[in-house]
Amino acid sequence: MKELRMILRKEFIHIIRDRITLLLVLAMPVALVLLFGFTISTDIHNARIAVLDHSKDTQSQAFVRKLSSSNYFQVVSYPNTETEIDFQFKENNIKLAIIIPQNFENELENEHNATIQVIDDVSDLNIASILNNYVRSVVQDFQNEYNQTSTLGESFSITTKMKYNPNMESVYMFVPGIITLIMILVTALMSSITLAREKETGTMRMLFITPVKKIYVVIGKVIPYMIISFLSTIVIIIISVFVFKMPLNGSILFLLLLCIIFMLTAASFGMLISTISTTQLDAMMITMMGLFLPTVLLSGFLFPLNSMPMIFQILANIFPAKWFILAIKDVMIKGSGFFDVWPYLTILFGMAVIFISISLKMLDKRN
Amino acid sequence: MAALTIQKVNKVYNKTVHALQDITFEIQEGELFGLVGPDGAGKSTLFNILTTLLLPDSGDIQILGMDLINDYKQVRQEIGYLPGTFSLYPDLSVKENLDFFAVMYKSDIEANMDLIRPIWRQIEPFSKRKAGKLSGGMKQKLALCCALIHRPKILFLDEPTTGVDPVSRKEFWEILQTIRTQGITVLVSTPYMDEATLCDRIALIQNGKILGIDTPEAIIEHFKGTLYTFKSANIFSLLEALKRCPLQCNYYPYGEHCHIAFYEDMETAMPQFLQFLEDNQQEHGDIEPIRPSIEDCFIEIVKMNRHE
Repeated sequence: MKELRMILRKEFIHIIRDRITLLLVLAMPVALVLLFGFTISTDIHNARIAVLDHSKDTQSQAFVRKLSSSNYFQVVSYPNTETEIDFQFKENNIKLAIIIPQNFENELENEHNATIQVIDDVSDLNIASILNNYVRSVVQDFQNEYNQTSTLGESFSITTKMKYNPNMESVYMFVPGIITLIMILVTALMSSITLAREKETGTMRMLFITPVKKIYVVIGKVIPYMIISFLSTIVIIIISVFVFKMPLNGSILFLLLLCIIFMLTAASFGMLISTISTTQLDAMMITMMGLFLPTVLLSGFLFPLNSMPMIFQILANIFPAKWFILAIKDVMIKGSGFFDVWPYLTILFGMAVIFISISLKMLDKRN
Repeated sequence: MAALTIQKVNKVYNKTVHALQDITFEIQEGELFGLVGPDGAGKSTLFNILTTLLLPDSGDIQILGMDLINDYKQVRQEIGYLPGTFSLYPDLSVKENLDFFAVMYKSDIEANMDLIRPIWRQIEPFSKRKAGKLSGGMKQKLALCCALIHRPKILFLDEPTTGVDPVSRKEFWEILQTIRTQGITVLVSTPYMDEATLCDRIALIQNGKILGIDTPEAIIEHFKGTLYTFKSANIFSLLEALKRCPLQCNYYPYGEHCHIAFYEDMETAMPQFLQFLEDNQQEHGDIEPIRPSIEDCFIEIVKMNRHE
């Protein structure tokens, strides 16, 4: 164990003395999360919408006026059928459609339960989600005003129908995505690069001819970067909860445990890469192509998975990021616990075990 | 007793490059053994095998009574290795590097200070300096300290003086002599023939084959030809002309001189040679007999092997 402590100490010296990398590793998570956060939460004004009003009564017209008088929406068409709405969506003429059913006023006044239907174009899920929230706030306003003029209790429900991406993801989708990217960049990329650097400079040979266990050498390389990326993850979560008001419904401890397991998977992938690459450049290219790109493209982080061709949906399963993002979303947004997400955890943990055993096998070869 | 016994070791890279062919030799305990050969002779491959980093394709190696191939974990505690290229952490200070390797070998710096003190004293003033900022000779001394910190029984030095200035080279060899007196067996490789004479015994290696093993004196003793040296006004035209020389001889430039080894009865050969030079209008200085150096021996042995 004394050896492991020494290797860890040495690794931290490397990290602290390499100022530029240190700065990059520490500043990147904050920069990424702020960048994504502020870009995505940009307000949208005068979104083009269509309203199909089946009631055409006083209240429904009051509601439509409320919609168009808000800065958010611009009612560009009043179609008569749902087919027309579909057509407008396909023409990309509108971003959202609202259908007011018959007897709107009647239901509102007598049954206290009026329903409107909102159809979103979720091919751009961020915009759809923002617009949806706008509709909600308009409905809220409408309801408040209505309650002032009427002594009756309030009741108003919205049913939302998603087009093109039925399992609409939350706007907070980017947070799990960024946590994933940071963990891969810091844990997998940094540790595979530094391991490859030791190969390049020959210090790895010097270490391997000492009686030290190889597993210590590798663990000692990986742990410092796991610690750094763990701290980054905490920073990202703090920023997303306090700056971007992301909900954190699950247990924070369980969330951190989840992150640790994913870090292990990413680190073991980094180990595997460093055993097959001999130079830092190799290590970087393989991590970028083999892990980073698939994570960006195939994890459902930027592009919704279920709108992709089947082959990519299948391919996505072999990359750890997809499972992690599924799990972290469930925990943060739905408040799921261990019993809801254990399959994802098992997959991630299993991947780590496989990667670690392959790399230990490879390290033990003497050729 | 033999500290190291190597028998019929072979290594082939990529199925075509025969890096080592039937390497067989023994090193005695406490010996300073030199492995002499040009670049690409297979020295580093042999070192990689001996330091347990590489497996030979075939052959048997006994080191301090242990089987190198199967007991490699125990072997690692007993060997020290100084690689041909600087392989310490450049961003760690001198002291940090030494501390690091001491812990890696489960060794105690204080307990082994008596062994490394003569070397350590020279680099101690720079103990806070980063290893990457040391001069070439200093780097080698630090690397040697790190290789000795666990008091190995055998020390492997792969071209320790390549790229080191002549003064540091001399110092380094003096250090090696003192290490020997501590009972440590040393195997050192070098491309410099002049350093070979400082070893107890040397093995000449080329193209993965051992061409000869003996003490430097014996190797010189066994020089077969009669060696002469002379200066020439135009060495290129001389070498060109010598290609037509009918005598049994081997000639090559040696510094600013030309060395020529005859395999003839010199009573009759020398007048013939002088006549030959005159016929070919070659101006030359005095032709003097000299005692062959290791380099001359090496050239002769390589030449003979080629003819066989």
